[in-house]
Amino acid sequence: MDNELGSIETEMKRGFLQLLVLLLLEKDAYGYAMVRAFRDLGYEIEENTLYPLLRRLEKKGLVLGKWEIGEDRPRKVYAITDAGKKMRQELIGIWKKQDEIINHISKENKNV
Amino acid sequence: MFKNLENYLEEISHFLSGREEREEILSEIRSHIMEKAAQEAGAASEASLARVIAAYGKPRQVAEKYFDGRPVIAPGFERHLFRYTTLIFAIHLLFIIFAVVFKKSFIVFPFLFIPRLGFIEAVMYLPAAFLSDFGIVTLVLYFITRSGKEVKLPWPKFALDLDEVKAADAKTLASRIATMAGAGIMLALTGFGISLYLKHHSIFFISFNFKKFQPLLLPKPGQFISLAILTMIAAGTIVMFIKAFGASRRLACWVDAAADAVALVLIGLALHQPYTTLFAVAIPPRLHAWSHVSFIFTLLFIALMVAIDLVKNLVRLGRKRLQK
Repeated sequence: MDNELGSIETEMKRGFLQLLVLLLLEKDAYGYAMVRAFRDLGYEIEENTLYPLLRRLEKKGLVLGKWEIGEDRPRKVYAITDAGKKMRQELIGIWKKQDEIINHISKENKNV
Repeated sequence: MFKNLENYLEEISHFLSGREEREEILSEIRSHIMEKAAQEAGAASEASLARVIAAYGKPRQVAEKYFDGRPVIAPGFERHLFRYTTLIFAIHLLFIIFAVVFKKSFIVFPFLFIPRLGFIEAVMYLPAAFLSDFGIVTLVLYFITRSGKEVKLPWPKFALDLDEVKAADAKTLASRIATMAGAGIMLALTGFGISLYLKHHSIFFISFNFKKFQPLLLPKPGQFISLAILTMIAAGTIVMFIKAFGASRRLACWVDAAADAVALVLIGLALHQPYTTLFAVAIPPRLHAWSHVSFIFTLLFIALMVAIDLVKNLVRLGRKRLQK
């Protein structure tokens, strides 16, 4: 049962994390700062999941990564693009729609 | 430069080989690990890096997250892997039987060359033939998958759809009694066949006046063909008993497959006999050519049926192994 929950949770997180990254990048941020921000929000992610996701978003043109030499080591800072902002709005719309559906079913069925 | 970090990145790099952006990926990971170690321990050190590296994950798992997860063969084509391999192997098997029986080599340019084979060589060649057929089908399906095109692969319906071979349903009491009765009859038949064989070294007899029976075949070919038939009947009996007593279906499949293989060997040996020494009874000269062709055809037909049964059993066994 725990295994099943884990695998469904992973599937749900896959889409949710993309939206979360696009939301968080309202301000430019580097990878480790994003992981800490998620943690502060009570949302744990595997660190090694974030960078492949950012890379995919970069390839789709939704996010732009730029290396900066700060303090003593280079960091890659990510920013959301215009296409990313448009996508973010679309995804929020989908999310709200899904939320409405769940709320509607919950109201009609007390067991849910 | 921290040795443990560089070793870790080197291992990830190994699993990322072939990716253009490999250096960029490694730089991202290096930057993250250095940043975290510095934040958590004040400054990066071998010890703090070791903790961060352990939390980041095993090199192969880390590298695999960068792959799109595209399968080698698209799920929609997985059934075709079984279907086409079975079909091509059946054709391959037929060519091998021809090569043995007619003592000729075959070329289906540029895909297939079957040299003139002896019987034992042919048996040794079969696993390699199966693997090459499997490999060719896999390669073709791999390229179709990679192309990403919407391809509807054909499958002839006239052939036996081995892909849809299913395990027998659970037995009810009535069907178990029927199987038991069938097994009893088969046992009697096997016993009769064996006793006949032990006395006369053959199970094929002919009578022209229904009073006196005489062997139909000469001793040597009669022995091979009788043994092949007896093996199939005996295996059928064992399989029926296994099913009747509800024992492992897997065991039944193995027994059936082993009996098929032995029967194929014996049929092959029988086909190897020169025709002129086959029959123990005189055959009118005008029927010589006809009986020659019909005898070879009958044995080839039996061999084909046995080969199909063998492939079916191997499919069943293979599928059960995959399900595990």
